[in-house]
Amino acid sequence: MLTKKGKYGLKALVHLARLPAGQLAFVGDIATGNNIPKKFLDAILGELRNAGFVQSRKGKEGGYRLARSADEIKIGHVVRVLDGPLAPIPCASRTRYQRCEDCNEATCQVRHLMLEVRQAIAEVLDQRSLAEMRDIAGDDDLSAALKIQA
Amino acid sequence: MTGRANSIIPNSIVIVGGGASGGVLAAHLLKSPNPDLRVTLIEKRPHFGQGIAYSTLLSAHVLNVSAAGMSAYADDPGNFWRWLLERGLATPEQAPVYAPRSVYARYLKELLDELQARETGRLRLIREESLSISPTGSGAEVTLANGTSVVAHLAVLATGHDEEPGAGQGHAIRMGSEADTALDPEARVLVLGTGLSMVDAFLSLEQRGHRGEIIAVSRRGLLPSPHRKGNPIKLDVADIPLGTQLSYFVGWFRGLIRENQKAGTDWRDVVDGLRPFNQKIWQNWPPSAKRRFVEHTKAWWDIHRHRMAPQVYARVTEAVQSGRIRLVAGRVVGITAGDEFTVEVQSRHTQNIETFDVARIYDCTGIARDISTTSNSVVRSLVDRGLARPDPLRLGLDVSDNCEVIASDGTVSAKILAVGPLTRGTFFEIDAIPDIRAQCARLSRRLLG
Repeated sequence: MLTKKGKYGLKALVHLARLPAGQLAFVGDIATGNNIPKKFLDAILGELRNAGFVQSRKGKEGGYRLARSADEIKIGHVVRVLDGPLAPIPCASRTRYQRCEDCNEATCQVRHLMLEVRQAIAEVLDQRSLAEMRDIAGDDDLSAALKIQA
Repeated sequence: MTGRANSIIPNSIVIVGGGASGGVLAAHLLKSPNPDLRVTLIEKRPHFGQGIAYSTLLSAHVLNVSAAGMSAYADDPGNFWRWLLERGLATPEQAPVYAPRSVYARYLKELLDELQARETGRLRLIREESLSISPTGSGAEVTLANGTSVVAHLAVLATGHDEEPGAGQGHAIRMGSEADTALDPEARVLVLGTGLSMVDAFLSLEQRGHRGEIIAVSRRGLLPSPHRKGNPIKLDVADIPLGTQLSYFVGWFRGLIRENQKAGTDWRDVVDGLRPFNQKIWQNWPPSAKRRFVEHTKAWWDIHRHRMAPQVYARVTEAVQSGRIRLVAGRVVGITAGDEFTVEVQSRHTQNIETFDVARIYDCTGIARDISTTSNSVVRSLVDRGLARPDPLRLGLDVSDNCEVIASDGTVSAKILAVGPLTRGTFFEIDAIPDIRAQCARLSRRLLG
């Protein structure tokens, strides 16, 4: 399940992916531009920095930028860092397994199917790059039109 | 969609190198029902299927993987174990069995003999040295030392590990090479490396009746761990952080080991549980993470991941305790050759320089070396002509995820491919049979359907 944290993190990365290479963005600008609470965003960007997806610079001219090019960063890689193992329900994870109070995991058909679903989630999210996600943004009519033409 | 430009099924494939990886690839290719398939295997050594890894006759040189993991076939993992049982070389209650490598060489030889008997039209073995590979209009041509050549639609390099020590190893020689002449049994020797190759060298020296002190030097002075019977933990790719910086991944992995150990699981089961994903993890890392791994983390990883049979471990640790082997963490800063060699080693911990007078220096630094300085003439001539290039970390040849060799200008070759240890830069752990057979199975499926 994509949490708010995961969603905000992806939006922040799309924001950074739209900047000219090397240019930094203020946390405040990313927060207001994407409707993200600033304190939460600080924490999210800190985690993305630890994982090596963004770089930060301190001080007046400081801010964040992507640490690698947007087509090298895969969406699945980012989601695992922010939300942990990809899983449609909490019991469908090997390392962050959370037992359901109300069922037996050995015989639970729902869990078995959901374990399969998580493989499919990984397959989709690990194939798609941040650059691809940026370019399917619905608010940019021109780029959408160009994409259709191409 | 079937409209791929190179969707023609190659009927003739020549494999340069008839050691373990070449033999395993031939076996997988010949699973294809195509009656027009022609597979040619070229090997310069007297025996097919052995290569360097399995040519040792010493019974103490056992496989570093238990028999259950050593089948030549990706889709029949019990093949080698059944072969041992059928010949009375093991019994079911003995598992896990670490068979002598010479027995494994016999397994591969019999497998190829059987294939040759059955596939008279489709498999050809040539005992000759290959000199070079050149792309032609419709495929590739392999030039042999006897002046003839073999032409095929595709050429696959399977030349494995380098036979000569890397450049810059100075006076060090390889155990068992021509330079490894008779030695005073009491002489003190120095071994560069403390990993599995050092262990092999120690066992060879013991066998020869050598009794002198063995100084083993590596950056960290760490000995590989022993195997223990266990059950790898179950992981899915969805559980594993991919594409992060190295420190993040290492933090995650250490945490995973800690949690599992708290629950009573052995660390080996965590390391082994990650194995199916090792290539994927490697391939998704940014170049900076790969470089850091090779420089800082690999030594630590190797001693946990590449383990030895428990009985070998017992012998080695006994030798360390008795002072016969001395492990030194440091680096060689100087070698002076006289009647003996005077080797200066700077300690990793104290920075002090200690001097050792030794009769011989063995190179057991392992298998990784800069490919552009390889002693293999086929590989070197490809690099020299720009038809191949080292991968960015210079661990092997630069190849695509489909095993296609990449030229110096970045062009991906449709005619020259590579499998096995040569492809380390792209496939990371591709030195052991379980990984090589999976690579060969995938390549065969892609080439022949």
